[in-house]
Amino acid sequence: MDHISYPSFSHHLSLILISTILIPIPQISAVDFPINVWPKPTTFLWPRPQAIALSPNFTISAPPHPHLTPAVRRYLHQILTEHHRPLVTPNLNLTSSPPLAALTITISDASAPLAHGVNESYSLTIPDDGSAAALAAETAWGAMRGLETLSQLVYASPSSRVGCGLYISDVPLFMHRGIMLDTARNYYGVEDLLRLIAAMSMNKLNVFHWHVTDSHSFPLVVPSEPEMAEKGAYGEGMVYTVADVKRVVEFGLERGVRVVPEIDMPAHTGSWAKAYPEIITCADVFWWPAGASWDDRYAAEPGTGQLNPLHPKTYQVVQNIVHDVASMFPDQFFHAGADEVTPNCWKLDPSIQSFLSKNGTLSQILSIFINSTLPYILSLNRTVVYWEDVLLDATVSVDPSLLPTQHVILQTWNNGPDNTKRIVAAGYRAIVSSSDFYYLDCGHGDFVGNNSEYDQPPGANQTDGGSWCGPFKSWQLIYNYDITYGLSPAEAELVIGGEVALWSEQADSTVMDQRIWPRASAMAETLWSGNRDSSGKKRSAEAVDRLNEWRYRMVTRGIRAEPIQPLWCIKNPGMCNTVQ
Amino acid sequence: MDHISYPLLSHHFSLILICTILIPTPQISAVGFPINVWPKPTTFLWPRPQAIALSPNFTISAPPHPHLTPAVRRYLRQILTEHHRPLVTPNLNLTSSPPLSALTITISDASAPLAHGVNESYSLTIPDDGSAAALSSETAWGAMRGLETLSQLVYGDPSSRVACGLYIADVPLFMHRGIMLDTARNYYGVEDLLRLIAAMSMNKLNVFHWHVTDSHSFPLVVPSEPEMAAKGAYGEGMMYTVADVKKVVEFGLERGVRVVPEIDMPAHTGSWAKAYPEIITCADVFWWPAGASWDDRYAAEPGTGQLNPLHPKTYQVVQNIVHDVASMFPDQFLHAGADEVTPNCWKLDPTIQSFLSKNGTLSQILSTFINSTLPYILSLNRTVVYWEDVLLDAMISVDPSLLPTEHVILQTWNNGPDNTKRIVAAGYRAIVSSSDFYYLDCGHGDFIGNNSEYDQPPGANQTDGGSWCGPFKSWQLIYNYDITYGLSPTEAELVIGGEVALWSEQADSTVLDQRIWPRASAMAETLWSGNRDSSGKKRSAEAVDRLNEWRYRMVTRGVRAEPIQPLWCIKNPGMCNTVQ
Repeated sequence: MDHISYPSFSHHLSLILISTILIPIPQISAVDFPINVWPKPTTFLWPRPQAIALSPNFTISAPPHPHLTPAVRRYLHQILTEHHRPLVTPNLNLTSSPPLAALTITISDASAPLAHGVNESYSLTIPDDGSAAALAAETAWGAMRGLETLSQLVYASPSSRVGCGLYISDVPLFMHRGIMLDTARNYYGVEDLLRLIAAMSMNKLNVFHWHVTDSHSFPLVVPSEPEMAEKGAYGEGMVYTVADVKRVVEFGLERGVRVVPEIDMPAHTGSWAKAYPEIITCADVFWWPAGASWDDRYAAEPGTGQLNPLHPKTYQVVQNIVHDVASMFPDQFFHAGADEVTPNCWKLDPSIQSFLSKNGTLSQILSIFINSTLPYILSLNRTVVYWEDVLLDATVSVDPSLLPTQHVILQTWNNGPDNTKRIVAAGYRAIVSSSDFYYLDCGHGDFVGNNSEYDQPPGANQTDGGSWCGPFKSWQLIYNYDITYGLSPAEAELVIGGEVALWSEQADSTVMDQRIWPRASAMAETLWSGNRDSSGKKRSAEAVDRLNEWRYRMVTRGIRAEPIQPLWCIKNPGMCNTVQ
Repeated sequence: MDHISYPLLSHHFSLILICTILIPTPQISAVGFPINVWPKPTTFLWPRPQAIALSPNFTISAPPHPHLTPAVRRYLRQILTEHHRPLVTPNLNLTSSPPLSALTITISDASAPLAHGVNESYSLTIPDDGSAAALSSETAWGAMRGLETLSQLVYGDPSSRVACGLYIADVPLFMHRGIMLDTARNYYGVEDLLRLIAAMSMNKLNVFHWHVTDSHSFPLVVPSEPEMAAKGAYGEGMMYTVADVKKVVEFGLERGVRVVPEIDMPAHTGSWAKAYPEIITCADVFWWPAGASWDDRYAAEPGTGQLNPLHPKTYQVVQNIVHDVASMFPDQFLHAGADEVTPNCWKLDPTIQSFLSKNGTLSQILSTFINSTLPYILSLNRTVVYWEDVLLDAMISVDPSLLPTEHVILQTWNNGPDNTKRIVAAGYRAIVSSSDFYYLDCGHGDFIGNNSEYDQPPGANQTDGGSWCGPFKSWQLIYNYDITYGLSPTEAELVIGGEVALWSEQADSTVLDQRIWPRASAMAETLWSGNRDSSGKKRSAEAVDRLNEWRYRMVTRGVRAEPIQPLWCIKNPGMCNTVQ
């Protein structure tokens, strides 16, 4: 990692420097720490690791705050009742000091809202003499990060103890650390979403990007357009009501997790045709006609339909939906999709045919759509996130002049670091979701039916098991990916962060936890404190044992994260390496 | 599929012929059937598909049988209470006949034990006039298969209906249809094993191959060698007691699922060293020394240790274990492992060094081991299954004369159909578990720590995500694999069946269901009634909708099988295909 390539790194280095001066003999070597925090804190000073008993009357004092107060209550309960027994019992002597009886939280700016760029830094001191631990943060959101850290330092042996004599100072490298979940191809219950957000906060992730609608279903109940979900959802029990959304958003606020809705348009809107067939082109046609070339497909995958930018009714419906979504989701970001506009789908429509016959282009049609929707979204005081396609698609895209860099962020998913570079070189802020690294659904086969490609004689190349973006993205691959790879320092500053993505063609609640965790934990650490040690070497090797313990703790907390090693490995440290 | 290549097919064809003569206008086209059975029955005649109400007083009469009786009780309850609502409501008219109120089961040989080769065929008639349905089979195990079929033909909430006016005659193509689970690298609770066996019986699979011990742990409590588990298991709650095994075996008997134990030896025995260090060579050494070539590894993966065939104590321990395992597991098959004997591990031992220095060979040492253990296992009236390595390993193998073909079965996992051919050409019966097709853990990354291979610059080949046997084996790949590919008819008769395998380096109870189902269902159908339609064409295309419904039903039955498509696909039949 080139230090300079991370926007917040110079700041963070000076912080380490100051701490180093203030506290004698720091030992920044978490490998040897008997108990760890995931993601690894920026600075973790623990000169003489030991533990202190946790008083059963432990209390947390904090300034009143609408979201921090319930978080404090929740963490207090967890700290007192979790009684976590690590896989490897921490080798920590218990001090003879009186038990730790209190944590004092101070925040300097109680009014800072949960928004992109909010200060999430905190510092945590746990003395070894039984005096109160101290958590200081600028904002309530930073305090929540510190509470999570504290909770991970508490364990049972068998009575509860806390790592003590330590100082942690922590600040994320990237401001945007998210997970995208597609709830349109398959439905997830609200309980699944809440469990996802809870696990995100455990990993200090802060953005739940909710890809809520697509061609396959429209599960979101929009008050001014009730027919959208009534007709477009998979079924009665498979919708998200206004109350559901409020619950999800509130749940996120109490955990420092923003909820960014995505209404994907103008493509990926086949489900809209159930309520408004007149505004959708090529709805419900067979996606890839027999004998047609790939260029002549009607959609990127089964499930066709695109909004018709030349139909006036389109904008009435879009405006109603955008308006309601903006009131249901308070976050400043609004994701408006704009990926995978497929030429042939629009070309099926007579009005579009007529437009094209007069020397009009598909890109002009997309420009009309953007020009007729983006200003309205911006008028609601939103920053708009689009998929990169709107600018970079080879066939249908718009001129950058239509996309003001101060109000538009582009999310990249193709071509690895190359497209990230194209986006930031054009002056846009970028969110990295490279399908080569961050797509959690990849490498799991394919869902398209009746495909003779699946049936090859033995010995034939199995071509990534039929997955377009295979192979499977292992946690190591995710951990090692540098999202500012190949960028100049100035370009790197425009990379606001990344999101792992779970597209749901072959996922639903039966597999959600396992597909996401602990691989999203790998990204969480890389985006929080980086993937390298102080010598600049990738630390995925030492991360294995820590991630093993952390995965196990997530499981005990109710998250069905998949195992990464035989239990034997963590019980025999170093023995599962390639080189001892 | 070459018809002749399946041993049972000629018999099965004559069955169809008879039925075809007896019943006019058969329509063997389950694609068009509104409700289906997985695996698809051999013969399913349903000239005028309709449904009949299920009487709330529905009863099942069957001859008393220690295992069939509890199965009948279980199915009766399920049939009356499942109230399954298919994803696509079956388009079936309800007859005006009185409700179906009885099933009569007849079996001609109540004494046939559950063993390899037992007759599992059955026929099921459900009249449309309300008279009793009839299930007839030769054995209790065939009757269980028929009960499962009946249960899948019942649907409807709140009132239950049954497909009627149909005749099913069903018989498996292959006698051995199994799942191998490794409970040594990570532990699975007994409840997990029972859920696995229950799901197996739903899929008409009949062999649970329990790879119970390995180098990583020895969870099996062996009464005459109590220290093996006391010291070799992962921990106190992570063992299988005699009572646990009894419970698993009984549970299998009531579902027609045999439980075949595997005690893997002489390699994969590192955990034995906890109780008997003197009989294990190279125990707990680092598996692949820095700088050493792959040939100089001590084990195929982290976790070393092999039984020392030159130490007399070895045979005392093995004999005690085999004796107890044979009494705990009544099945006629005993799997004795014999895979991946690693030269360097034995070479670390002084007695072996001395033997080799006198012109002895490693293969002679393995032969000593086989000669000193196989006769004892055979004396317990067991058929022994070994992994193919014992015969085919390039470095260490034994002469076929040591392995009597009438008592030894070889299980193949390397080189796809080539090794199957080598095994049957040598006269052995084969169980197919080709890692290219049937390994369910493949394509999920790798577990080895500290491997710089994971860290490649963007754009580098991701080499199957680091999985040695990647990519992921999709259900289509599994479904399409013909386990007798390339064999002559005589050779094919020696292929007794197949097993999908879940090695547990990166699996435990959090992912068990999702890794196994519905991919094992794909194999289940291929081994039961084949993967081709009556015209000889692979039927994986039409299988997709059926598998979707079946996967959904498994989920409602408590098995967390992973989804294979967006829900949209089954609600829009044909629309997710590549060619309409």
